[in-house]
Amino acid sequence: MFFKLSLYAALLICLLGLAYKVWTWLTTSIGPGSAAYTPGQRIRAALKGMTQAVFSAKLGTILKTLALDGLLQRRSLAVSRLAWSAHMLIYAGFLLLLVLHALGGVLIAAWTEYYPTLNPYLFLRNLAGLMLLAGVALVIYRRIKVPGLRATTRQVDRAAIALLAVIMLSGFWLEAGKALSPHVFDQMVSDWADAGNQAEVQALRSFWSREYGVAFPGQKIPPEDALLAQGRELNEQYCANCHAAPQWAFGSYLLSRAFKPAAAALTSPGLLDVLYYLHFLACWLGLALLPFTKFLHLFTTPLLLMINSVSDRQKMDPANRATVRALELDACMHCAVCSIHCSVAVALRNVPNLTLLPSEKLAALDRTARGGALERGDLEVVREGCYICSSCYRCTRLCTAGINLQDLWFAQKEDLLAQGLGEPYVDLAKAADRAAEASRGQSLLRVRQEGFQHELKLSAQAGTFSECYRCQTCTNVCPVVFQYQWPRQELDLLPHQIMHSLGLGLREEAMGARMVWYCLTCYHCQEACPMGVQVTDVLFELRNLAAGGGSTREDS
Amino acid sequence: MRYALFLGCKIPYFVPQYEVSTRRVLAELGVELVDLEFNCCGYPFRHLYFSSYLLAAARALALAESQGLDILTPCKCCFGSFKRAQFLFRDKPALQQEVAAELAAEGLTYSGRCQVKHLQSVLYHDVGLEAIKGRVVRPFSKLNAAVMYGCHALRPSRVTGFDNPYAPVIVDRLVEATGAVSVPWEGKLQCCGAPLRGKNDEISLAMIRERLSECRTDGAEVLVVDCPYSQMQSDWAFDLMQPKDSREYVQGTVLYPQLLGLAMDLKPQELALELSTPDLSYLLSFLSDPQAKAAQARR
Repeated sequence: MFFKLSLYAALLICLLGLAYKVWTWLTTSIGPGSAAYTPGQRIRAALKGMTQAVFSAKLGTILKTLALDGLLQRRSLAVSRLAWSAHMLIYAGFLLLLVLHALGGVLIAAWTEYYPTLNPYLFLRNLAGLMLLAGVALVIYRRIKVPGLRATTRQVDRAAIALLAVIMLSGFWLEAGKALSPHVFDQMVSDWADAGNQAEVQALRSFWSREYGVAFPGQKIPPEDALLAQGRELNEQYCANCHAAPQWAFGSYLLSRAFKPAAAALTSPGLLDVLYYLHFLACWLGLALLPFTKFLHLFTTPLLLMINSVSDRQKMDPANRATVRALELDACMHCAVCSIHCSVAVALRNVPNLTLLPSEKLAALDRTARGGALERGDLEVVREGCYICSSCYRCTRLCTAGINLQDLWFAQKEDLLAQGLGEPYVDLAKAADRAAEASRGQSLLRVRQEGFQHELKLSAQAGTFSECYRCQTCTNVCPVVFQYQWPRQELDLLPHQIMHSLGLGLREEAMGARMVWYCLTCYHCQEACPMGVQVTDVLFELRNLAAGGGSTREDS
Repeated sequence: MRYALFLGCKIPYFVPQYEVSTRRVLAELGVELVDLEFNCCGYPFRHLYFSSYLLAAARALALAESQGLDILTPCKCCFGSFKRAQFLFRDKPALQQEVAAELAAEGLTYSGRCQVKHLQSVLYHDVGLEAIKGRVVRPFSKLNAAVMYGCHALRPSRVTGFDNPYAPVIVDRLVEATGAVSVPWEGKLQCCGAPLRGKNDEISLAMIRERLSECRTDGAEVLVVDCPYSQMQSDWAFDLMQPKDSREYVQGTVLYPQLLGLAMDLKPQELALELSTPDLSYLLSFLSDPQAKAAQARR
């Protein structure tokens, strides 16, 4: 009763959760224009797109993708054999257990007789269970061993691994316990065996103890051949029809051998009950949480791969594009392949912002797109991560779920821009401009005796500005200066004036000059300077200084 | 001749024809390329995250070093970025020690042994003009080409050491080796505007527009570039081009290995010519008959 009630409760939560998820795919908007479509319009566009794809020659492509990328995990294999092996073990083990064990009484029983204690079920259940356990072990190994993966591992990843491990271990322990347990033996004898008298039971016990390792406590079973032979006969008569030799459950059987010395404690009926409850409740927990955890990728990832196989993100109906982008948030199983291979992951050492990694950027996008209001400070962090990206497309190329990450990053940038958070470079320039505003137009400025030398030390090049004798060569060769009829008005300070300002310690004035931020870094000025002033590099340093990344380094 | 190919971040997605043509032409010339999974060269970090820039550059260099290889990059901004980092490490050993400590954590070392060369330097210095000319079987005839040298390879010359910063010749000679004429033009040493893209689009676009029209004014039929950023700038300008502007711009922009490959009688598809915009098939009409050169040689 409790079993069924709890199962239905979990199933209900799962179904409601799935419905909620589908609703978010229809309502989440990522990227400009996505919000323009109502859920109704999105459903219609999706149905139209799906119908067109399914009733056309594209169906072949879809099925091929489902087989190669969905079932055989071709994309994962191309990236990492370790990840592929781990995933295949878990996924094949899971499917086998689902069909042969969890749904065996429904699926298989509908079509033939189903006895979980008979082969092939007994054997396959153990095989599948061990595959899954081995997969979980590989996943843990990978999370620990692969460089860069540990930083991205989150509580949800650990929880998912732990849940699978609990289900598997409780299952094996339960089966091992049953194999050892005399109580279970007696129960089964009374349920199934039509053993007429105590002598026959004794013979059966003798056989099951000797051959199958049931641990009858305090009972010396004499190894009399006659008794054993009778037990064997009775086993054939009563048991073997619906119970294969427990050795076929090889995983549990081996475990039961290990348990044997402490059999009484490890197989007490109370403990077996606890394990039983633990086992199915953990399964129900997984079922109930499926829509809210990465387990959802079971459905979303194949769906996305199939959609991608027959559509082009750029040419897609914009209503569908909005839906697919939202779906992508749920197609990620957080394998972190994108982050391991990210071209700019190296920046993480000096910029402690995890959202620069693709997998974490996606999680951040999920929060900003679906999580409602975020603090301004959080958005700043997301923005920084968003712009530390060289658009190399490697994450998109490698993503095992086929998520078009780069498309999401572009959309994310647009969305942040709409909230007033654009390219950090531009915002820094504006901030520097505001800081310089106070002193502009003043005829007298406070000159700092110590100059500026001590702040510009990233490259030991910047100090060269003190050699400047203001010949204006730098300004004369500058293509940016050349763009304007009145460059002084447009750029605040010209290159030679910036060099001179530095000698006077006019920090804010120099950093706030638009010239610093409009610099093309073409190095004409630096090449041409007769005094060897590293003009372009000084401007680089001024920008670093404004970004706050430049002034902390100690001089050598 | 064996190099680690450093494509950088822009080529694989934005300028794939550059990768295709570079690999094809270098294979033809006997240059072996090794693919390593590199990180970004650090160039995008230079403005705001100086220490990330140095670490990224050093890591890529150390990766090549661990394989005992020098780097060949077709990107002039990656090239300049590496050269600057190497210069700084030499100039200021404390910086090198700092990144060395970071790199040691993943078992990499940076000793400065790895040499970084741009594609054009390898072609000019290592393969050599004679070898290239020897493979040119369909030289261009009467094709006026404008060479754009690219700021970050050329300057600051004491850091990059690419060529004479005021009178460079390497790329001119390489273009001439294909039979094309390298025309003198206004914007040869000027900027394509790429570094300000997304930061100040107005200036950025003005730069490439000037280049595309200057070279037309000075009689070029094609602009030759050898950096993905210049190509992307050109793509951008052509994308935004209004029909009325079309007379002002040069007819097309070609990546040098595409130009060379055509003259080596490689098929346009082998050089991914179809990916270039605007359409470059007009260049084929400038190619001479393959028999012509053979006949000339016999005479």
